[in-house]
Amino acid sequence: MSEHDDWLAQAVEVLREPVRIDPALDRRVMAEIERGPAPDRPGWREVLRRPFGGQLAVTSPLGGLALAAAVALGALVGRTWLAPDSTEPPSTLGTMAASVAEAVQFVIVVPGATSVVLVGDFNDWSRTATPMRPADGDGVWAATVPLEAGRYRYAFLIDGTRWLTDPSAPRSLDDDFGPPNSVVTVGAT
Amino acid sequence: MNRQSDAALVRRVLAGDTGAYGELVARYRDRLGRYAMRMLGNEADAEEALQDAFVRGYRSLHRCTEPERFGAWLFAIMVNRCRTLGAQRARRQRTVVHDEGILARAAVADTAERHAWRETIAWALRQITPAHREAFLLKHVEELSYEEMVEVTGASVPALKMRVMRAREELRRLLTEGERV
Repeated sequence: MSEHDDWLAQAVEVLREPVRIDPALDRRVMAEIERGPAPDRPGWREVLRRPFGGQLAVTSPLGGLALAAAVALGALVGRTWLAPDSTEPPSTLGTMAASVAEAVQFVIVVPGATSVVLVGDFNDWSRTATPMRPADGDGVWAATVPLEAGRYRYAFLIDGTRWLTDPSAPRSLDDDFGPPNSVVTVGAT
Repeated sequence: MNRQSDAALVRRVLAGDTGAYGELVARYRDRLGRYAMRMLGNEADAEEALQDAFVRGYRSLHRCTEPERFGAWLFAIMVNRCRTLGAQRARRQRTVVHDEGILARAAVADTAERHAWRETIAWALRQITPAHREAFLLKHVEELSYEEMVEVTGASVPALKMRVMRAREELRRLLTEGERV
């Protein structure tokens, strides 16, 4: 057992050593935030969009959950991107928010798809946590997710390989380090 | 030295004093940077995640409902950014260069080979799952309590304890094998 303790103590000692961070990083951070909006400007409070192009009428919630909002996808836009391949189990939703969760329904029209998964900030971009269910036989897929008030980025994974953003929703304004994605804001007015 | 609290700085930022955020950045850059470096394994990715976390923290600062706990709130953002960036890198860079000789040379007692020991630990961390690595670093390196880890990761205490235990077992096996080679 002492052998175990030895390696652990030695490893931790090394891992706690300070690391070198570029001194210019602070300036880069401040320059980037100066270019963007202030934290609480109304411009960040994007609202849910109506179903895209009238191609889909969202009329009933799935699983008995209340329908708070709907997002519909009617066309394929955006570029293909490499998405996170997380093995992490789904994380607890909305751990940072204090408000009560709302049931938000996401709907997508993808004729011919065999599987559709909803991925986003709310499930830590897991490729398996939130599979969408076929809502009818016309390529309509839906999933309902409890979301607390806040801003969430998301995208759809089609057949395990193809990624779609949602043209009916705002694009994320801060996806400069990650793949393109859409944004839904819950609780916005 | 008149050091303002995190809460005071957060309030100044929300009141429009962007420069106050610079003080928060300076205050947390080293600790968050160390975590990112250990989690992601290289300086470039760590700095990218660090900058991203700071910028996202600023932009969503109005969601920091407990300004006095800004550090924990920001750490949660950092953990999430490392998860996302790490997963992206995992897909793009599946080839891990590993020098088998490093393991053979690893010997902690010999200070001349301390660099090899560092490399061995870094290699061993890369071999375990991101979830296990994350839990191990938060517990043993950052010394967070399990309650704090719950707040940062969103996972349950039993799940986190399991991850820490498995991470320790895996790392011990990897490092022990390395020393035996």
